[in-house]
Amino acid sequence: MSTLLEVSGLNKHFGGLHAVNDVTFSIASGEIVGVLGPNGAGKTTLYNLLTGFIPADSGSVIFNGHKLRGLAPYRIAGLGISRTFQLCRPFVGMTVLENVVVGGLGAHGRDRAGLDAHAQALLGQVGLGGKEQVAVETLSYGDQRRLEIARALAARPALLLLDEPFAGLGSGEISDLSALIRRVHAEQGLTVMLIEHKLHEFMRLVERVIALDFGAVIAAGTPEDIVRHPAVIEAYIGRGDELADEHACAA
Amino acid sequence: MLEILIHGAVSSAIYAMLAVGFTLIFGVARVLNLAHGSFYALGAYGAYYFTSHFHMPLLPAALLAIGLVALFGVFVEKVLVRPMRRSQLAVLMITLAVALVVEQALFLTFGSEYRNVPEFVSRKFTIGGVDVGGQRLLALAVSVILIGLLWIFIQRTRLGSAILAVSQDPEAASYMGIPSDRIFSIVMALSAALAAAAGVLAGPFLTVQPTMWLLPIVKAFAIVIVGGLGSIPGSILAALMLGYAETIVGYTISTSWTEIVSVAATLLMLVFRPAGMFGKRAAF
Amino acid sequence: MFGKRIDFVGAVVFVAFMAALPLIFGGNYLIGVLTVSVIYGIWAVSWDFMSGLTGRENFGHSLFIGVGAYTAGFLNTKFGLNGWWSLPASMIVATVFALIIGVPTLRLRGPYFALAMLSGAVIMQRLMLIFWEQTGGEEGINGIEPLIRSQLGFYYFALATLVATTALLLALARSHWGLILRAIRGDEATCQAAGINVTYYKIASLVISAAFAGAGGALYAHYQLQVSPQLFAIVTSITIITMVYVGGMASIYGPVGGAILLLLLTELLRDFGEWRLMVYSCTLILILFFLPNGLIAPTWRRMKTLLAGPK
Repeated sequence: MSTLLEVSGLNKHFGGLHAVNDVTFSIASGEIVGVLGPNGAGKTTLYNLLTGFIPADSGSVIFNGHKLRGLAPYRIAGLGISRTFQLCRPFVGMTVLENVVVGGLGAHGRDRAGLDAHAQALLGQVGLGGKEQVAVETLSYGDQRRLEIARALAARPALLLLDEPFAGLGSGEISDLSALIRRVHAEQGLTVMLIEHKLHEFMRLVERVIALDFGAVIAAGTPEDIVRHPAVIEAYIGRGDELADEHACAA
Repeated sequence: MLEILIHGAVSSAIYAMLAVGFTLIFGVARVLNLAHGSFYALGAYGAYYFTSHFHMPLLPAALLAIGLVALFGVFVEKVLVRPMRRSQLAVLMITLAVALVVEQALFLTFGSEYRNVPEFVSRKFTIGGVDVGGQRLLALAVSVILIGLLWIFIQRTRLGSAILAVSQDPEAASYMGIPSDRIFSIVMALSAALAAAAGVLAGPFLTVQPTMWLLPIVKAFAIVIVGGLGSIPGSILAALMLGYAETIVGYTISTSWTEIVSVAATLLMLVFRPAGMFGKRAAF
Repeated sequence: MFGKRIDFVGAVVFVAFMAALPLIFGGNYLIGVLTVSVIYGIWAVSWDFMSGLTGRENFGHSLFIGVGAYTAGFLNTKFGLNGWWSLPASMIVATVFALIIGVPTLRLRGPYFALAMLSGAVIMQRLMLIFWEQTGGEEGINGIEPLIRSQLGFYYFALATLVATTALLLALARSHWGLILRAIRGDEATCQAAGINVTYYKIASLVISAAFAGAGGALYAHYQLQVSPQLFAIVTSITIITMVYVGGMASIYGPVGGAILLLLLTELLRDFGEWRLMVYSCTLILILFFLPNGLIAPTWRRMKTLLAGPK
């Protein structure tokens, strides 16, 4: 399999805090990779560096042959990386369908009819069919999560970065959503990177795990290897952090 | 040369008094108060009104004016701004509307002609061969004292540290049991009082008329951009820079050009260092 | 489909009504009031296109109006150019000002843009006074030629400009452009994650907004036959924002109604004289508190559902 994303020596400091410390890893086309780590391990910062929302101090990120460092977020998105946010950030004041259409406008603009049809199909896929004209503010929390993913998929990305997609969902919703992720992965050959705290579902979903602590990669390997890795156990138990930490999302 | 030094210091001091209050309420409550200039105008008009209509002596008149403006600030914060705080736009709109209401009220009561605020000190002093109005020196001294007191208050008192805590992390502060709403009111009162004091002190040598709130707001804005929104030392330094830059331009080129200085400073700063000279989020 | 047809019918009825008003009641006074209200309509619609849709409030729309008007005044009186050049020229000059303020400030989040626009307008007003030798100072520029000799003719031209502006901006607002601008209002970060160049769209929408405001300024100059620094006043901007709030933000057509309603109301309030601006400011505060969605656009939407009747 060819390498889709190659990250090497990535660093980011916030004042005295070394938030991302010399992170190196690569992701092959078609993988589902999980990013694991306690709160404050630098997972979301890593996403922000990859997608250009925060400038890195040093290191390189190569995606599909393009150097990403220094590019604006919208350019990186245009190259085929979509992301969701830890807190749901729908476009308020718009309908569900419009939210998803906007997701595709940047990369595939202009053809409104095509975008509408694609958005409609995506909403069906994520289980929001029939809610196209609903105002987005009135959606339930779980539905907003699904909408986030539909919005991210509307750009037809090559790589999808999910930031805690299961946070705040019930167990039924979680298995629905992970089935959805697995389906788009299988059907579209989509490469997925996923930050999650819900260990149970996470470990069944991902093929490979990168574990972070204090901004550095402490272990990488299959889910089975990772849960037994001493450094990972230390990182969690040593700090008394719940593995299945729940995050409230006030939308 | 000495002339520039002294006059630059005086205008810097007035600017600093205005900008510190403006940046304080932004730093603490995230409220960008476009009515800030109105506090300044009301301070000047208050001193004028109480002395000329009630024949009060100047000092009690000035203190009364400053106190009333502080109360007005609390009213604006509690009744008008607080319900709007969800939306920054609505806050801007409502404070701008307040500024216009104040302008119109002053216009309807006092008309558009210039008013004279009496001087505390009317004699002139000669320093190194330069004649300086006593009122200007007083304005300089008082503003240095007031800003110094504010600084000590924030750094050294319990209430001050509560203010600091709210400005750094309102959520954490509320967990610690700091009533942020009360803090906002207190800070608004302080900020309004400082602006009013600037109006009382600068009133005698500046023009006092209903539209006098506008230019100070523009200057305060320029200062907080240069100094970094929310930073008190930053705004003091920026006030010094702007005050001196204007004085130098006024002496060497023409007073007409002084107005351009603040705009140029603002635009250049926004282009090159939008976070201000001292970087992001300088908490006081 | 029905909704669109009824919008069209509503628009036609409204334009016909506005066109017929001076024919029914006559009188130069009424024509004057209507002309001014139509020009304010252009300003309000252009403000709404940028600020209403993206949510970045522009507190200095009068800057674009003023530079448009002064451009018309200069070209017409100092360079003796035919008045019809004023419209394109004022649009270009306003665009330049939009770029000068928009490019540095719209990249940033936070209140920088709103404040820079406010400062820009204040400073321009001061500059007009400081450089009085060129600008005529407090008096401004007098002796601007009318575009169209007949008052009624000019009113119809202004009305046509308003209709064209509204139609164009409404079409843009309902295209993918408007969708992006509204999404920017919703969440800028998500827009960027969707591959949208947020800064570009914000600046472009400001430029479009400024161009129409500038053209409105030129129209105003050729109606008043003079320009003065008062055009840059913050009050002008606030009046326009109040009109947009009354009309219903982000609806584009609402502000037209807001502008006309408020201006006619102002004429009724003439007896208040000096109290007029006070009434305006208080109206704005009351609307912010009690009618955050405005009056005109929500009323029209309700009428439409009534007209559509039970399904």
